[in-house]
Parts: sequence; structure tokens; C-alpha cells
Amino acid sequence: MIAVLALAAGVVLGIVLGPTVPPALLPYLPIAVVAALDAVFGGVRAKLDGIFDDKQFVVSFISNVLVAALIVYLGDQLGVGGQLSTGVVVVLGVRIFGNVAAIRRHLFRA
Amino acid sequence: MTDSPPRRGSGSPGRQAPAAAEPKRVFAPDFLTELFRNPLDPGYADAAARKAVEGSPAGMRRWFTRAASLITLIALGFLFVVAYQQTIADEPARTKARAALLQQVQSRRDQTTQLQNQADKLGDDVAKLRERELGGAAVAQLRDMEAATGLAPVKGDGAKIKLGDGPTPINPVTGERNTVARVKDTDLQLATNALWSLGAEAITINGQRLTATSTIRQAGEAILVDFQPVTTPYEVLAIGPADMAKDFRDGYAGKFFKELATKYGMSFGASDVRNVTLPAATELKLRVASPIPPPSASAPVSSSGSVSSSPSEGGR
Repeated sequence: MIAVLALAAGVVLGIVLGPTVPPALLPYLPIAVVAALDAVFGGVRAKLDGIFDDKQFVVSFISNVLVAALIVYLGDQLGVGGQLSTGVVVVLGVRIFGNVAAIRRHLFRA
Repeated sequence: MTDSPPRRGSGSPGRQAPAAAEPKRVFAPDFLTELFRNPLDPGYADAAARKAVEGSPAGMRRWFTRAASLITLIALGFLFVVAYQQTIADEPARTKARAALLQQVQSRRDQTTQLQNQADKLGDDVAKLRERELGGAAVAQLRDMEAATGLAPVKGDGAKIKLGDGPTPINPVTGERNTVARVKDTDLQLATNALWSLGAEAITINGQRLTATSTIRQAGEAILVDFQPVTTPYEVLAIGPADMAKDFRDGYAGKFFKELATKYGMSFGASDVRNVTLPAATELKLRVASPIPPPSASAPVSSSGSVSSSPSEGGR
């Protein structure tokens, strides 16, 4: 409950502040969102599994976003940014999908 | 893959048993297989195992991690909103560029109209001057010729042919517009040619007077009549014999358009009109000109020079 409130607070904060993203960071935004989604669904699933851990959640979120951004940055420097982004999205997408499937089984027993 | 996670849920304590005995983390050799089988970060299982051994952290530390996770959640919401707003903001930039282009087109078009008005006014001045200088029968003859060639507005009875695009549904699979029911340049050409052959003396398409050198052409999705775009519904007005509308309806063109109307849903109508005024053609460029035989051999150069130096007015 508090977690949902905190998420809503972040959304409100984003709407109120309405920050402009510096152009240099723009390519990393979609990847960061996918990495963040992975952390969120991982956290929800761990909560339902009963093994949620605050520290693990924070660390996984920060490291996910940073590593994803780093991979995209490296890819851009090497000229394979698009392919590496695809790789990141595939790996994180598989994890998100697996975790959502586990959440679904928890919620609907099916 | 779908039934493996429940097994994992019950199997994870078994996996943790050696992890608890030996704290060193073991990484699966096949990353992708492991990823598909167990999408949850192994850190959660490790943390749970640690908690089981050491007990939950208490006091300051507990509150600190709790606060950190809340801040992370706030950051998450923030990130989502920023990304969403960024995606939305990208779209207006594109729309803005489009609007700017549209504005440019419009302003250029206005400029063209303005210049055209000026040209018309100057043309009227020229006509007036000519009338004053020539006078009488020569002017009457000139007027008749102008009316016939489309250079002067004409008034009279005739026929009105209306053509409109039929429905152009978008294919749900390919996303392409089905343009089979759209009026094509050839349709307008057919209509005007039929009217000419029925004895029309003057024709306009959406107010564009046709001359002997007029063009009706398709440019992409637009139809250009003398390089001026015209849009659906097309209204072809013609001055001519009294039974022109009826003849048109019964002729080949009328039957063709009726067929199109029933088959593709295009709109078609032919009716008589009384006392309509058709405007003059916007321009008639002089393309071929030969000098009038000079009255004397002394000044052939100046005569031909005067024709070629004002090509657009030379024909008027």
C-alpha cells in the first residue's frame, strides 16, 4: 500500500515538476523505463513469493538502470547501439514476462 | 516454461540449502536457459535465505532500507512520467513542423492570388486602353475571339456536371487507403471532352476556366487544372446548347459515370443551369508567335521585338 502511494507520489512529482530531459540522456530513457519495469515486476513477484527485500529491490533497480544505460552507451560508441538496445530489451522483456506470469499464477492460481 | 516457476517456488529452498551452507554465490553457466527458467533476480532468494539465518534486520537499518526502497519507488514513478511526457512531446514537434509547412504553402498561395489579381487588373487596363484606341468593330471581333478562347468571362445557359469522390476506406490489414472510388484526372478529362463534343462553348472546373491549352493532370492525390489544385466535389460548368445536360447523361460519359456511381459510390449529377457566368482563364501563355508582316521592309526587327518582349500580353 505504502509502495503504491510512493509510486503515485513519484508520478505526481513528475507531473508537477515537469522536467525537461537533456537531449544527451534521451536515448537512455526507453531502456531505463524497461529496466525499471523489470525491477518493479521482480519486486512485486518477490513480495507475492514472500521473499521481498528492500535492499535487494533498491540495488536491483539502480544497477538495472545503470547497466542498461551503460550497455546502450557502449553500443553507441561502438556503432552497434541499436542491436545492443534490442538485446537489453529482449533480456529484460523475458524477465518481465516470466515475473508477470508468476504474479498471474499467484493472483489467479492459474 | 510456464509450469517451471511453481517448481522453482518449492525448489528454491532446496537451492538455498547449499547457498546457506556455503555463502559463495554460484552462477548458472547457461545464462539464457537460467533466464527463462527463473526470471526472478536470485538476489531475493539469497536475501530470504540470509534473513532465515540471521533474522530480519532491526532498528535503524531496517528503516533505512525501507526509506531507500520508498525513494526508489518515487524515482520509478517519476521516471515513468518523464518518459511518458517525453514520448508525448515528440509528437507535437512533428505536428509543429507540419503546421509550419502548411502555413508556408498557404502564404505562398495567397501571394500567388494577390499577384494574379494584380495581373488581372493590369490586363483590364490594357483591354480598356485597347478599346479606346481601336474602337468599334475591331473590338467586338476581339471580344468574340476572347470569349471563345477563354480569355474573357462569359455568361449564358448550359449544364452543370457534379462529380465527387466515393468513400475511400482504409484497409485494416495494410493500413492503405483504397482510392479506387476517387475521381481521377482521366474522369475529369472525359467529362470535359464530352462537353466540348456536345457543343460547349466555355467550360470551368471548380471555377478554373479551360482554354485550348489547359491541362488536367493528376499530381499524387491532387488534380491540377492548369497547375491549380482542385478538390472534390468537382463541379464542371459548361455554357452551350440547351439540351447539353440531357445529352451528357445519355452519352457515353454519362453512362460511364453512372456506372462508377453505382459500383464505387462516387457521386454524379448532371443538370441544366440558367444564366451562369464563367470567369476568364487565369493566364494564357503565348507559346508560338510569328511577327506580323511588316508594312515596310524598314522596320521588321522592331515589330518582332515587340511581340517577343511581352509574350503574355502579346496574345491578348
